[in-house]
Amino acid sequence: MATPEITRRALLAGGAVLATTTLLPRAAAAAGRVVAPAYPGPWEEAYRAVVLPALKKTADVDTVLTPLLSLDQVAKVRASRATPPLDVFMLDPGPAVVAIEDGLIDKFEPGRCKNIAHLQKAFYDDWGVSVAAQIVGIAYNPKKVDRPKGWKDLFEPKYYGKVGISGFGTTFGTSSLIEISKLYGGSLTNVDPAFEVLKKWLPHVGVIAQNPVAVNTLFQQGQMDVTYTNYQTVSTLKGRGVDIEFVKPETGPIAFYTTLHVVKSAANKDNAYKFIDTVLSTEVQAALQKPPYGLLSVNKNVPLQPDMPPEIVKSHAELASFVHHDWRQINPKRAAWIERFNKEIRQ
Amino acid sequence: MDRALQQGDPPIAERPPREREGWLALPLALFFLFFFLAPLGLLAGISLRVTPQLEGLGLVQYAKFAGDAFNWSVLGQTLLLGVKTVAVTACIGVPLGLLFMDAPRRWQPILLFIIVLPLLTSVVVRTFAWIVILGREGLLNNLLTGLGLVAAPVRLLHTELGLVIALAQIEMPLMLLPLISVMSRLDPNLRDASAALGAGRWRTLFRVTLPLSLPGLVAGCLLVFASSVTAFVSQTIIGGGRMVLMPFYLWQQATTLFNWPFAATIGMVLLVSVLAVVTTLNALGRRSRALVHG
Repeated sequence: MATPEITRRALLAGGAVLATTTLLPRAAAAAGRVVAPAYPGPWEEAYRAVVLPALKKTADVDTVLTPLLSLDQVAKVRASRATPPLDVFMLDPGPAVVAIEDGLIDKFEPGRCKNIAHLQKAFYDDWGVSVAAQIVGIAYNPKKVDRPKGWKDLFEPKYYGKVGISGFGTTFGTSSLIEISKLYGGSLTNVDPAFEVLKKWLPHVGVIAQNPVAVNTLFQQGQMDVTYTNYQTVSTLKGRGVDIEFVKPETGPIAFYTTLHVVKSAANKDNAYKFIDTVLSTEVQAALQKPPYGLLSVNKNVPLQPDMPPEIVKSHAELASFVHHDWRQINPKRAAWIERFNKEIRQ
Repeated sequence: MDRALQQGDPPIAERPPREREGWLALPLALFFLFFFLAPLGLLAGISLRVTPQLEGLGLVQYAKFAGDAFNWSVLGQTLLLGVKTVAVTACIGVPLGLLFMDAPRRWQPILLFIIVLPLLTSVVVRTFAWIVILGREGLLNNLLTGLGLVAAPVRLLHTELGLVIALAQIEMPLMLLPLISVMSRLDPNLRDASAALGAGRWRTLFRVTLPLSLPGLVAGCLLVFASSVTAFVSQTIIGGGRMVLMPFYLWQQATTLFNWPFAATIGMVLLVSVLAVVTTLNALGRRSRALVHG
């Protein structure tokens, strides 16, 4: 047999086929898809397992799930306002305020989600809808260290070298450092005391991580035994066999809601509403709340019990009694805090 | 099958060569223009904006960068990290290159495979593997405590030492490939001649082999420096939150603080600094080639 020869015509034809395959699928699938983000790690796993199949079943919409943290989503959309790379935002309260003020979010029309009827009025507004509550407290490894009681314990000598923290670049870091500040005379907008405490503690630092995803890995690797994080991360890691327990700080855990929004100028606006509607449905909220996912439901038909251990949270009334932060007051200060953290923490 | 050959264009030798070759570079030139030069121009343009809302025009951001000692120390630490990584890869790379040169021919492909192995694994996998190795309960610390060399685990992860070790492994192929390609082309007769003229092995190494390998070494240093200084993923994950280096600083300004003009300025400063180092190294490289041929 002769060796196959590549003629110019064959090469061009092949090239054309290759070029079409890269361009085609987007156009072909555009009728039934939505590009939605999910926080990397436990959230992404939960949404991939529960929300995607449900949306495909009820509305025949394919989801391109993009693992991105809140601020990364805002940055991506900000960089391409006219043709945003996402149809939906999944945001923590701080970045949500940024996105609203920056005009990146479409007005939310509750009427386009039939499942909104299962939600209390407080859970949605003109800009978006809450889809899960998060409870932030202290996580520790029960096999290695004593159970810490509150925020102050993080800086106790018996935990020296074992505590890992993240800074003001993350929601967990910012809200936890605010609570620490309050214990030493600070307030929601004055974190000077936290900086004082951190400065004294730095020689005994365990880990300072740059994002919450890194914190999970470092905890699993035994690089730290105590850190601040949310209940849901603890639940997921525990489900994987990691020695980890959640503590509600004695001054009260922090609670906040993660919200979904429709991105302004989104290419698939109808499907964005279908996505949000699916997330709010009773079945999906119930499935997302079951261990190991542990995403606290906002749907009236899904009680927090028995999925949540009663010692963590019994009801939405109790959840409302936890510490809530007003991010409209925090955001204007955050940039200065991040820069100060850079300078004071740097080796 | 032979039809194309019989009826096709005139034989290559008959065409005017220069004219055709110039056109061949056009796709690359266009690619560079649209996907490199244009974005770079955009970046430079944004760095000249006064506010994060992209208003005004001026050198405000550069003045802000130059006016804060913190920024200079970030730049200094970043460039120093590159120098340290280059030093480690060169110290390990040169002996490895010599070993490769003297290895039997049938071993060389196997050695080459081992050398490029780090390039064949994903950067994320490599980086997380280093967490497992350098961690408090990692391989290295288990070995050290197991052998009784240290009482408590040594802090390696999230330190500059750990980062340099990891980067040296990750960037090693970039040092070795140019080095080996130059070294393996060296005429073995030169070494024999040197020996015949009475030079010892060390003298031959320092007066003949190494000077002749300099162009490869310089090219390797150049690649390792540029790559380690900008290795964002490795720097942030292995270096940790206490090590603020230029790529992380830039990322933070762009995606956490949304201060694009300042982020662009950090990018331009890093670009110019790396270019300055690369140009210096290139000049050294030219001089070393002159040394060889001249």
